[in-house]
Amino acid sequence: MSETLQATDVERQDEDAAPEETGDGAAERSSGSTEDLLVQEGDIAGDYLEQLLDLLDYDGDIDLDVEAGRAVVSIEGGEDLEKLVGPRGNVLESLQELTRLAVQQETGVRSRLMLDIAQWRAGRRAELAELGKTTAEKVAADGERVRLHPMTPFERKVVHDAVAAVAGVHSESEGEEPQRRVVVFRQA
Amino acid sequence: MSLLADALEHLVRGIVDHPDDVRVNLVTTRRGRTLEVHVHPDDLGKVIGRGGRTATALRTVMAGIGGRGVRVDVVDTDR
Repeated sequence: MSETLQATDVERQDEDAAPEETGDGAAERSSGSTEDLLVQEGDIAGDYLEQLLDLLDYDGDIDLDVEAGRAVVSIEGGEDLEKLVGPRGNVLESLQELTRLAVQQETGVRSRLMLDIAQWRAGRRAELAELGKTTAEKVAADGERVRLHPMTPFERKVVHDAVAAVAGVHSESEGEEPQRRVVVFRQA
Repeated sequence: MSLLADALEHLVRGIVDHPDDVRVNLVTTRRGRTLEVHVHPDDLGKVIGRGGRTATALRTVMAGIGGRGVRVDVVDTDR
């Protein structure tokens, strides 16, 4: 496996980290060895998080998967897990960041792993998709651009996807993290 | 209480080149409680991260698991 890793990948930690917005098209062209790497990512992440749950004495089942070219780690269990989600998912985002670093530490490759806890992302995804759709429809009807509130890269991607499904509008992100937000325009 | 220190130590060990050199001490002063993170000098950059991003993530997770009001300091042992 390690012969597929390139030395340049190790140095990429300082690149701008908004991997969720890089589109999944490239990732879907993954080869078999990429699949192996993603399975390995999940295993490393699972160990890292399981030991954390053990230390905290939180109940949680860890499920590992590979979806759309990235490793997905889901934790479900008791009420304690809400603490690992936090207000507006901020603890979840931080834990995902640390888990990606722990994976990169072992593989030498930057990870795009997605962590979900207590199905927070699934619920948030549905809310955001609805927000994207209703905003796009309003912009298509009124013609006035709408700037949404600041969101994480994950949240923005869900909104962009929902807007893209509505005819006559398009969306862009503007501003700097953590104030980066989606703007929806009517197409000229 | 040392649960917080143990959890932080685990989180940091996973992201550095020298996990055996990671120590987290909980110290109490009149100004409150602080988790002091000691790492190998070569790992300081990793624990702090670009623009303090990794240190911020560690603080956010510690606040989430009950360490609200507890400071997290990455100690520069190279001095």
